[in-house]
Amino acid sequence: MQRRTYLKLGLAGLAGGSFLDLLALRKANAEQAGDGSSSKKKPSNCILIWMDGGPTHFETFDPKPDAPSEIRGDFQPISTNVPGIHICEHLPKLAAIADKYSIIRSVCHNQGNHGAGNHYMMTGAPPRIPVGCGAFVSFHPSLGSVAAYEREAPHGLPGYFTMPSMSRSGGPNFLGAKYAPFIINNDPNNKNFRVRDVELPVGLDQERFTSRRDLRKTVDRMSRFEFAESIDPVSAYDDNYAQGYDLVQTPEAQRAFDIGSEPETTREAYGRNAFGQRALLARRLVEAGVPFVTIYDGGWDHHSDLFGALQKRLPTWDQTVATLINDLDQRGLLETTMVIALGEFGRTPKISTLAGQTKPGRDHWANAMSILFAGGGSRGGQVIGATDRQGYAAVERVLSPENYVSTVYRKLGIDPGKIYHTPAGRPTHLVSDATPISELM
Amino acid sequence: MIKASNNTTVGACVCVGFLIFVSATGGNRAFGADPNSGYVPKFELDIQPILTARGCNSGPCHGKSRGQNGFSLSLFGFDSNMDFDALVKNARGRRVSIAAPTDSLLLTKATGKEPHGGGIRLKEEDEDYATLIQWIKTGLQRTTASDPTLAGIRFEPDPRNLSTNEDAEVRVLATYSDGVERDVTGVSSFQSSDPGIVSVKSGALRSGPYAGEATIMARYMGRIATWSTAVLKAKSIPATAFDELPRNNWIDDLVIDKLQSLDVMPSELSTDTVFLRRLFLDAIGRLPTPDEVAEFLADERSDKRVRWIDRVLDQPEYADFWANKWADLLRPNPYRVGIKATYSLDHWLRQSFRKNLPHDQFVRELLTAQGSTWRNGATTFFRDRREPDEITTVVSQLFLGVRLECAKCHQHPFEVYGQSDFYGLASYFAKIGHKGVGLSPPISGGEEIFFVKDKGEVKHPLTQQILAPKPLTGPSPAIQDGTDPRIALVDWLLSPENPYFAKAAVNRLWAEVMGLGIVDPVDDFRATNPPSNVPLLNRLADHYRSVGFDNKQMLKVIFSSRTYQLSSLPNASNAHDSRNFSRHQRRRMRAEVMSDALSDATGVPTTFSGVPYGTRAVQLWTYRVDSELLDAFSRPDANQDPPCERTSDTTMSQSLHLMNSSQIQARLTAEDSNCAKWALDSPSEVVLRKIYFQIYSRAPSDDEIKTLLAEQKHQPDRRRWVEDIVWAMINSPEFTFID
Repeated sequence: MQRRTYLKLGLAGLAGGSFLDLLALRKANAEQAGDGSSSKKKPSNCILIWMDGGPTHFETFDPKPDAPSEIRGDFQPISTNVPGIHICEHLPKLAAIADKYSIIRSVCHNQGNHGAGNHYMMTGAPPRIPVGCGAFVSFHPSLGSVAAYEREAPHGLPGYFTMPSMSRSGGPNFLGAKYAPFIINNDPNNKNFRVRDVELPVGLDQERFTSRRDLRKTVDRMSRFEFAESIDPVSAYDDNYAQGYDLVQTPEAQRAFDIGSEPETTREAYGRNAFGQRALLARRLVEAGVPFVTIYDGGWDHHSDLFGALQKRLPTWDQTVATLINDLDQRGLLETTMVIALGEFGRTPKISTLAGQTKPGRDHWANAMSILFAGGGSRGGQVIGATDRQGYAAVERVLSPENYVSTVYRKLGIDPGKIYHTPAGRPTHLVSDATPISELM
Repeated sequence: MIKASNNTTVGACVCVGFLIFVSATGGNRAFGADPNSGYVPKFELDIQPILTARGCNSGPCHGKSRGQNGFSLSLFGFDSNMDFDALVKNARGRRVSIAAPTDSLLLTKATGKEPHGGGIRLKEEDEDYATLIQWIKTGLQRTTASDPTLAGIRFEPDPRNLSTNEDAEVRVLATYSDGVERDVTGVSSFQSSDPGIVSVKSGALRSGPYAGEATIMARYMGRIATWSTAVLKAKSIPATAFDELPRNNWIDDLVIDKLQSLDVMPSELSTDTVFLRRLFLDAIGRLPTPDEVAEFLADERSDKRVRWIDRVLDQPEYADFWANKWADLLRPNPYRVGIKATYSLDHWLRQSFRKNLPHDQFVRELLTAQGSTWRNGATTFFRDRREPDEITTVVSQLFLGVRLECAKCHQHPFEVYGQSDFYGLASYFAKIGHKGVGLSPPISGGEEIFFVKDKGEVKHPLTQQILAPKPLTGPSPAIQDGTDPRIALVDWLLSPENPYFAKAAVNRLWAEVMGLGIVDPVDDFRATNPPSNVPLLNRLADHYRSVGFDNKQMLKVIFSSRTYQLSSLPNASNAHDSRNFSRHQRRRMRAEVMSDALSDATGVPTTFSGVPYGTRAVQLWTYRVDSELLDAFSRPDANQDPPCERTSDTTMSQSLHLMNSSQIQARLTAEDSNCAKWALDSPSEVVLRKIYFQIYSRAPSDDEIKTLLAEQKHQPDRRRWVEDIVWAMINSPEFTFID
């Protein structure tokens, strides 16, 4: 607690604005937070599998076997262990555990390009101005940054991790750099995998690190302010080092990164590929108490060669996600861990072939999409909402990105209806419509 | 010059809405206290003030652009027509019911009889409730031409100073066109510029335990009044103590005048080496070399600080450093506007600072730029900001210091500006024509030509009326047919009578080197955010104008002042003061400066992709160059909107990077590194002196030498001994901070 307060004071001093203003502002934010609207249940952590590009709903969780062939596509549905729920034939492992997750088929929005769709689904806020397809924009803090801001991870661990790179719009916006994701860009499937900066650099042993640490104390003779009312930015800096040493030297924190300590059978079960091992690492991080981990899983923008690409990709993806859910369940962690897989939108019902391409695909489609949602105390084995018979639009239980994001916030123990104040003082709703999806609550 | 702190953002919607204390206990109705008096309330005069006072039309409630639960009001009631329609015509008339006034949703929701997300806002026994009923019963009247209109508001009594922990009352009076004046305190909104100094709640003021200044603002139906006060403590320091303070120039006189009024003593003068390091880092963004430190220490001339100010400002690094600062404000995303256009802007910026282009000419070249984005880098500004409203937002924020963005969509909540002002200013940019290849992200590779069109206009978004170019203040200068309206705008901007330009410009410059603006945030000049030292800001602006907006000359005056040269260490008297320049502000180095300082400290340059070896971070032409270090220490993210957020706080990622990054470790151990060189040198005392000169820009003390020599016992490997010392030093605050 004291550390956080301290850091904030440091920020105020450096920002140059009135410290007293800032205190008042923080107090106002804190009072907002204390309105007791969040449930008393232990808050859940979240593993977000971000399928960047916009995964097809037809070839994943919303097959349309009765639609004409130019919509139906090449794949068949299969039944799952829950009677009446069918998913794509290339997801057999997930089909075997459909009782452990929900499928939301009716979230939809109106942002049909990547930049805007990413922003909407990652923050719960539509972009404030029209943005382009290639855009990488941020107008509002992302789920992960808010989680890090509201919740603290133990042992000096950051509260928000992303692997292997930040997703578009996955940043902190006005919450500030402190709540940006901690990025693990190295491949955990690599034999020499290390997490950058949190482990001692190669060639430096613990003993020498300790002596460096002592030496740092020796050379540090900069005077600190001796009056409590003046904010010394160096005191925040001192805290950063204390926390950094904690992270580097606390076995619990380091253990979270030590994917090599997992039994080989577990590593195999997750899949010996970058995505599989990232999912395993994500499990280790939430196990250590990290509230939010994003796995950026790119390449779902299948404008062409949809079927060829998915035939290759879906089996390993299926294995990893199913293993993650099962593993969390067996460890008793699924109740307090959400596993969510989605992208920015679904894909067009009509299959088409782009000029210059020979193999068909589907294009962007924000009127319909599917979201896999497991854990966090939600009931499994259900399908929420439905699209029409040809998958054009959500028609039953139509839901918004705001509903989805509010659900995640509620499960994280954060009130989606709260109001934040930007550094410029502008009040802004965390989510403009704070109604969660009741079926998942 | 460029204060891109975390609360300064170009193009951000900075609509302010916090810490407004609105009366929620009802208030005096403007007209007719007795509902049986036969008075007929009018929507504009009686009802809108209630909606405002009860917070119905505030940003978080129905005032937000999409309203709340389908009920949308204009923010703070700036659009009476819209609000009337929302209440009376929309929702099939359920919001107000003439047949059964008490069943009106307006009342049942506000009193909590029906579920209301905003809670209970009104009680049946409130006068406002009676006024609303009366308004409904009497047929939902609006004002007519014969009704009085609001002429203005004012505070009563006149401003006075307060002592600490004092309570005071103020009233807000509204004057109407018929000469009637009424108390609207209860239905006005209040804001204090510094609630820690003086807090305000519905006309009740309370000063805190600290001496300082605050401006109280009241707002009533789009009108604003301010009440500026100082909270003073009993004087404890004799006047002679201030008279005896050494002063280098007029800046010191004006700062000390202010400190004396607040009974605050400034800190001591900084030491020579703290001053030298601060000067180098603030003026040109690099550490002094060990030779420069040695030369400065050996310099025994009494005016050596002034001489070194000249010398440092003449260093070639000056241009890159200041261009890098301005890039924060003007640099676009190359994936959006194209690589060549971005590079071209960068080139124009660097050239401008290389030739020390006076600031007025810099602004003129930028704002009247014409021609090809591939030849005239300044035109990139218009390639990036393509519409008159986008340009207006940036221009007002950068060169007027006014955040006009709010007025784009609604009346500025704390200012006099409204949409006519915004679009009148925007109209100067209506005739910008362009041909060639427009934006086609993510490549945008083509060339675009900017020119002045014959035609072009800007319309008021609500009235659709065409607005002629109009400056924010003063008469509109005539624009000759066939000329570029932008020239008229720049003439207005740069004229000696312009009340904003010179102050906004010099305030930026001041904030860059002092760590805090006299108005802060630097681009937020408004009545409720007054300058901390008015005479100082005025004099600085006059001086800047008198030296022809020559940045180097201006910087020299600031650097020469004792105020700039004060220590950052507080004393008992100024410990609570952070706004009046009684001591220097400690800040950490910004990302690029940090990166370059690490290159100098280790003797191994940071390498960046796409640029030649040895290119310094301040020379990079885009933020789209991968660098874990620059990201950790924060640089603007070109993908973000607004893009120029650069945070100045310290974070754990920064510490982790300095501690453990393999890149930094590699630079300590490289064969051509400073560590390798120093390890071969002897004797050890000399080595330590070299290290201290390089990294801390000072000589080590005897005690430091003794302690570090003793370390050799634990670390007999000389190379490792040096590496460990350098690691420890670059991880210490004395390296990271500009003290």
